[in-house]
Amino acid sequence: MFRFFLSAAALVAPLSAAAAETVRFIACPIYRDADSGKKSGCWLADDPATGTRYDVSLSPHKPDWNYAVMVEGIVSAAPPAPCGGIVLDAVRTSRLYDTPCTRHMLPAEGYPGRRFVLPKRNITPSSVARPVPPGPYGERVFPVYFEFGNDFLVYQYSDYLIEQASNWIIAAKPKKLIVTGFAATQPTVISGRSMAEPAELATQRAETIAETLRRLMPGMPIETAADTSGSATQDKDADGLPDQSRRRVEIKALF
Amino acid sequence: MRKISLMVAGVAGAAVFGQLGAAAPERWWSPGEGRVFPASLDYPNDHGTLRVLVDGGPVETKGHPFFEPLGANGRACVTCHQPADAMSISAATAAERWNKTGGKDPLFAAIDGANCPSLPQDRRESHSLLIERGLFRIQLPWPVRQWNGRPVTPDFTIEVMRDPNGCNSGPNYGPAAGNISVYRRARPVANMKYLLAVGFPFDPKQGFALPRDPDDGSMMSGNIMADNRAGNLRIQMEDAAHGHLQFAKGLNAKQIAQIRDFEMRVYTAQQVSKQAGALDSMDAEGGPMKLKNSQPGALGSIGIPVWSEFAKWEKISPEDAKTLTPEQLAFRQSVARGARVFREKMFLITDTAGINSRIGFGNPVRNSCVFCHNMSQMGNDVAPGQVDLGTTTMPFADPWRDLPLFRITCLKAPHPHYGRVIYTMDPGFAMTTGRCADVGKITLQSMRGLAARAPYFSNGLAKDLRGIVDYYDRRYNIGYTEQEKQDLTNMMSAL
Repeated sequence: MFRFFLSAAALVAPLSAAAAETVRFIACPIYRDADSGKKSGCWLADDPATGTRYDVSLSPHKPDWNYAVMVEGIVSAAPPAPCGGIVLDAVRTSRLYDTPCTRHMLPAEGYPGRRFVLPKRNITPSSVARPVPPGPYGERVFPVYFEFGNDFLVYQYSDYLIEQASNWIIAAKPKKLIVTGFAATQPTVISGRSMAEPAELATQRAETIAETLRRLMPGMPIETAADTSGSATQDKDADGLPDQSRRRVEIKALF
Repeated sequence: MRKISLMVAGVAGAAVFGQLGAAAPERWWSPGEGRVFPASLDYPNDHGTLRVLVDGGPVETKGHPFFEPLGANGRACVTCHQPADAMSISAATAAERWNKTGGKDPLFAAIDGANCPSLPQDRRESHSLLIERGLFRIQLPWPVRQWNGRPVTPDFTIEVMRDPNGCNSGPNYGPAAGNISVYRRARPVANMKYLLAVGFPFDPKQGFALPRDPDDGSMMSGNIMADNRAGNLRIQMEDAAHGHLQFAKGLNAKQIAQIRDFEMRVYTAQQVSKQAGALDSMDAEGGPMKLKNSQPGALGSIGIPVWSEFAKWEKISPEDAKTLTPEQLAFRQSVARGARVFREKMFLITDTAGINSRIGFGNPVRNSCVFCHNMSQMGNDVAPGQVDLGTTTMPFADPWRDLPLFRITCLKAPHPHYGRVIYTMDPGFAMTTGRCADVGKITLQSMRGLAARAPYFSNGLAKDLRGIVDYYDRRYNIGYTEQEKQDLTNMMSAL
């Protein structure tokens, strides 16, 4: 079985990568108990439409084995050696807390997992002085992204983006901020399920980020707004995942 | 010089004061007794000697609001924050105090030193939770109120399923009377600069930037109280003065400043191990001086590894080994191994709110003790440490029948790990936030001075240090070997 997955992955991965194939599906996640130190366990998910097993471990927010995940990712040419699935990179796994799963754990079966490395988007300790972002300063928008159905700050992703924004805003001294929450309210069929975010999530996202900005920048005038149009962005920090980019907050600095 | 310190190490495990010819200090500090608090105080305990260090020299306690009785019940802050108990209070000390005073000490004040004020106060069994497990009654408002008195609409209901002490039902107590009683250990008032330290501007467990101190605008660590109901020392003092001291008048600004000054200057840690000798010998860095001289708030994983204070004992040279007894050598090596096990023994952390949800580490996530106990020199959490280990909540907690049991029903989304209905003896952080997702979360405890202040966890679930290891082992199915358990226990006895 182990060899089968390896060879199947080896065949599929390069072809898929060449076409930069994007996948989106819902599945119960599988945890592989690989052990190369902290956070080195693997997360796998099988696309129910094809049976293809994907390695979704590189998502900034990881699955919960008690619940289904919505997987959104770009098929990578990376070898499946760490975990035993076609590697998705970039990838997002959104926990679907309304869909229970039977928890399932595979042994390592020779797969080492990945040694933890600090993600490229991480914040430095407060004791480290931040460089002042260069001007010129003018109207600017900073996006922040979320899991499907969630307004929770994503560790080592959303916090990084917010801090980048706040550093710039503190230096630029805009007159006020408008924080607009977006929700992907248009139904989309994924793995046979119609998936849409509730409209009120746009407001919740705006309020969540506004509260964080108030704490980071006391005294800064902040207004909130909501947008349920489901528009996407091409922002580089969305990592080429347009559906993820529909679930965002935009922090607009006005002068 | 080295030989001299080794010799001191060799004898220090015994009664230090007796050997030096000085009288051991009176262990118990009574309110208003007027003793001068010296710059350094040593107290023997079952594992060796605890040192209490006051940065900046002795403190005149006469007239000092930390040491003077302020309220109606004759207590002072020091009543429940005893130097010999690492500025907390152990169950053993409470029992001794009962035996010595027949329950007349202000420690046993009905307000929270009894299982409930409605019980006959002259009976030992009315104070059993304090005497046997070091637990004080904490009365919290229901529905939840914020620190500033602002009401919070909880997203859960609470029902009292079991009320063994009468403090969660009846006309004066319980949800119907606008309050809920839980039972908790006193947290140590020492090494405060670490508990107040902020390593990063975000609380990843709550998904927000850290809140600001209403007094000085700085970011608040969230690590002072078990349920984080007070974010800064002033609020904590006012809460304690009003509740524990029954000080109706309230603290004035000068008193608050005096108490803060003392709390920011006092450090505690185990200084001498009975089995190992001096914990700062042979290049080890145990003891409170290290705490006084180090910078707080550093994350061990990107700086100085947690409990690397004992790294030099991993490889004790043959020359040094000759100066130790075989028992001392073995214990030192065990402490060093324990520190490494603490950092490096990986296990699957599962179904733990604050780790596996809502933050996106995944459920499960493979990591070690140091994943949460991550601050260099202290082992508390650089991020606010509100985590549900299950120590107060079914099915993980011990089902103690002398504690109340509540049924929580989540009104919106179910709890990600417990579901819609939760049975708990203490809702913890949820009593501050009003959120079902926070039920059972308790702020991580300071790990210094553990040897002096059993029992452990917020509700005294572990009666000794080995009990801590055993709880984690069964909660997370870690599979520690007997040697690893012993090494972890020995290491914790040296903190």
